[in-house]
Amino acid sequence: MEPDSDAPAHPGGGDMIESKEETRGAWVVVAVKGRADAEAADQLEATLRAAVGQHSKVAADFSALDYISSAGLRAVLQAARTAQMTAVEFAVCGMSASVKKVFDMSGMHHVLTIHGELPC
Amino acid sequence: MLTMLEEVVLLAVDEQTGGLRSTREFGTAYALVGALFFDLALARKIDTDTETIHIVDREPTGNAMLDRVMAGMADKPQLTTVRDWIEEIFLRRDDLEGEALGSLIGQGVLRHEKTKRLWIIDVERFPIVNNRPQRYVKARLAQAILTDDIPDTRDIMLVSIAEQCGLLSYVLSDTQLNSRQQRIQTLCNLETISRKVSDAIAGLDASRQQSIGKIV
Repeated sequence: MEPDSDAPAHPGGGDMIESKEETRGAWVVVAVKGRADAEAADQLEATLRAAVGQHSKVAADFSALDYISSAGLRAVLQAARTAQMTAVEFAVCGMSASVKKVFDMSGMHHVLTIHGELPC
Repeated sequence: MLTMLEEVVLLAVDEQTGGLRSTREFGTAYALVGALFFDLALARKIDTDTETIHIVDREPTGNAMLDRVMAGMADKPQLTTVRDWIEEIFLRRDDLEGEALGSLIGQGVLRHEKTKRLWIIDVERFPIVNNRPQRYVKARLAQAILTDDIPDTRDIMLVSIAEQCGLLSYVLSDTQLNSRQQRIQTLCNLETISRKVSDAIAGLDASRQQSIGKIV
């Protein structure tokens, strides 16, 4: 397991979420920490889409994500859309109970690949 | 670009006659409120979670209708849930459909015709002047429903509002709609605002059934 990057996605401050990218076997894991709300949605989408643009298997690790709103869900979904359009494997993993509840209520498992644990 | 509310109202215009169509009179009013909230969400002015709704940016959008709703929300901080706000806007009886039609006329998409039936009854029609926007809306709905691709955010919202207004039957055949019912429900369920509009419509239907039961 090699940490590739431990820096905020947007150096210079103002980040609502923190993200860290690391390679695990064939997968690139993007660990996201903080609150995925309207303020952070653009940053979350850009972070996930950047990973999708560079790798063939991307897992979003949400185990340190405290909260996700509708805007956050849309960001994840649009990153998954980009992955689908470019034939990149994309999965969401390791959600906390509160975040999982939001995903479950929205029925996100019908359109996204969701794993309890990291797929690698 | 048309707003979500304008796109749904445009979908309700019969391309042959210019008449307005809807199959769910009361449900449509709730669904149009949902469209208004989607427009605010797309403008990054509000955000929701599983129950609550809140303003995240108070700067005006420049759209009079959206700014009026946002100002109303700021004036009533005691209303915090999505359901509360759907009911609040519904009860205000704002003419959302009329304002959207006016905007579509102003943008050169529709024109307004007023005629008399039997020399007495006013009949309003909105013939389509530019049919490209309506075709575009229908094409996006068909693409979102008939494929398994993850749709764009706007198209997910559009499917849910069109479904709640009972307008999908003007876009797809019964066979297509029946075979893709699960897909439609999946897309409708993705957004909190859609789920709460559905709850509000179900609540309205239940209270109407109760009222009919008491009368009978």
